[in-house]
Amino acid sequence: MMNELRKSFHNELEDVRSELVHLAAFVTESIPRATNILLTGDLEGADYIISGDDEIDARSLDLEERCVQILALQAPVAGDLRQVIAALKMIAEVERSADLVCNICKAARRIYGHALDPSLRGIITRMGEQAQQLYIAAIESFVENDAAKAAAIDDMDNYLDALQKQFVQAIFESHSAGHIDLQVAVQLAVVARFYERIGDHAVNIGERVRFVVTGWLPEHKGAARYRSRADDTGELPRQQIPDAGD
Amino acid sequence: MTALWLVPALAAALVMGVLLGRRSHGDNAPIADTDSDAERATSELRERADRLQAALDAMPNGVIIAGRDGRVLVRNAAADESGGDAHNEVLVQAAVQHHLRGALRGEQRSQTVELYGPPRRVVIVHAKPLGAAGAVATIEDVTERSRLDAVRTDFVANISHELKTPIGALAVLAETLIDESDPVVISRLANKTVNEAHRVAKIIDDLLELSRIELSGDLVVASVDVGALINEASSRNSYAAGQRNVTVCVGEIPSGLHVNADQAQLASALGNLVDNAVKYSDVGGKVTVTAFPESQGVTFLVTDSGIGIPSHDLDRIFERFYRVDRARSRGTGGTGLGLSIVRHVVSNHGGAVTVESREGEGSTFRLYIPDRPVPAS
Repeated sequence: MMNELRKSFHNELEDVRSELVHLAAFVTESIPRATNILLTGDLEGADYIISGDDEIDARSLDLEERCVQILALQAPVAGDLRQVIAALKMIAEVERSADLVCNICKAARRIYGHALDPSLRGIITRMGEQAQQLYIAAIESFVENDAAKAAAIDDMDNYLDALQKQFVQAIFESHSAGHIDLQVAVQLAVVARFYERIGDHAVNIGERVRFVVTGWLPEHKGAARYRSRADDTGELPRQQIPDAGD
Repeated sequence: MTALWLVPALAAALVMGVLLGRRSHGDNAPIADTDSDAERATSELRERADRLQAALDAMPNGVIIAGRDGRVLVRNAAADESGGDAHNEVLVQAAVQHHLRGALRGEQRSQTVELYGPPRRVVIVHAKPLGAAGAVATIEDVTERSRLDAVRTDFVANISHELKTPIGALAVLAETLIDESDPVVISRLANKTVNEAHRVAKIIDDLLELSRIELSGDLVVASVDVGALINEASSRNSYAAGQRNVTVCVGEIPSGLHVNADQAQLASALGNLVDNAVKYSDVGGKVTVTAFPESQGVTFLVTDSGIGIPSHDLDRIFERFYRVDRARSRGTGGTGLGLSIVRHVVSNHGGAVTVESREGEGSTFRLYIPDRPVPAS
């Protein structure tokens, strides 16, 4: 009886993992699609992605409910508990990434008809490719429970951050050369931010994978730092809130 | 096109084989009178199931068979390698699962799944009910077919655009000239007419050259001086380069480098590559042409620091009349046939042409020409 219960629990957990991987794969696939929509001004494609986001939202909610049900009915512990907690957190990361892909498509609508310099287009392509690479690594590390690969995502993200900075510089140059107007420049700067945020969500997924495999969380570093500041009595320092009258 | 109609029949036979194989071990339904008969029957059934599995594994399409309870009973080899990258695989398998569930409810279903990749792929997932045996899904890769469809459709649209535009312009200009009496306007219209006529002539010249290269079965092979060939291509484009203030540099070429090839065709290919590099360079840009020996042949590199090619156009630029940016193409004066000529020359020589490019950073075309045997004189 107990074995049957555990089997059903593990089947349920495996289903949740598969569905989460499917959602993440959908986002991974949407990134180059959105980049192409942005670069070609494909309004039909933009509409397809934006209307498809409702499905992602609904499926994310369903998945969240399933995780909560597992917690409530099965009361998992140790590694199993970490799996469910991590899945709950990852669902939010994937759902938010899908929103960001949508935002890129909305930006494509806003700048429709404005020609972009080849240098801007080239960096957008690179940012899209790198964001997708980060997501591919995140999925692979999750599927394979590979903590080492998950840890590498953070370093891969540095390149995307550098591309974002390079892109902002290129936007300034293109605007000052009179090739794009201010509205387009602002939209493009926001687009760069969307790609950069997608990368950050992939990094967060990687951190959750490390948590599942090793129990490690990045917050532990900060917490350990804080705890090391304790005095001899074990008292921890409290942040002084400046007095408004000072 | 593989015999897709065979799949449900094979699948049903395979599932029945599996089920019968299981049944022979059951307590209530012995299918043989003696133990040895039972063993023989089991071994025959297993052999048949193995044969059918081997037949399914030999098929290029993925086949997945599910039982009534939705559990996958059989997968062939192609079903496991149908999606490419991990996330593509996940999306294809999700579509298969979804349609298998539909087929188990008695629906016949089909969906085209377009995967952006990279690499970009198109697969069709079909699912059919198998009655009591469950359901079968097939995964058919139609990437190449859909690419060819796009090439054919675009070719018709592009050729009519390229030929109709200057001819339409000529007709309108001539009609306007008939009623015009102002000599200044007449002169301006006449100049435009000449330009459009030159444009049509250039397209016809390129089309003729392309068909000549396509049709010429035998190459006129001789030892070609690579350095001289590059200098000739570079100097032929020096006027156009000067107009755009583009510098054409010839890289260091090993002295005495020769390749056995058709000189006229090679000059045409290299000339087109340098012409393209100059056209799509920014004003004040730089084009570098170089060559080096490589595996019994010579590789030419033409590098520019121009506008570059969007990644989704890279595998299509060698098609006839294909334009990355149609709005810009009229300004450059090209015919849209240059790279097709290059591809045909390379194909005639049994070589290879590849391109690496990034928008805003420029392009590098790599042309490998193997040494052809020189006919005895």
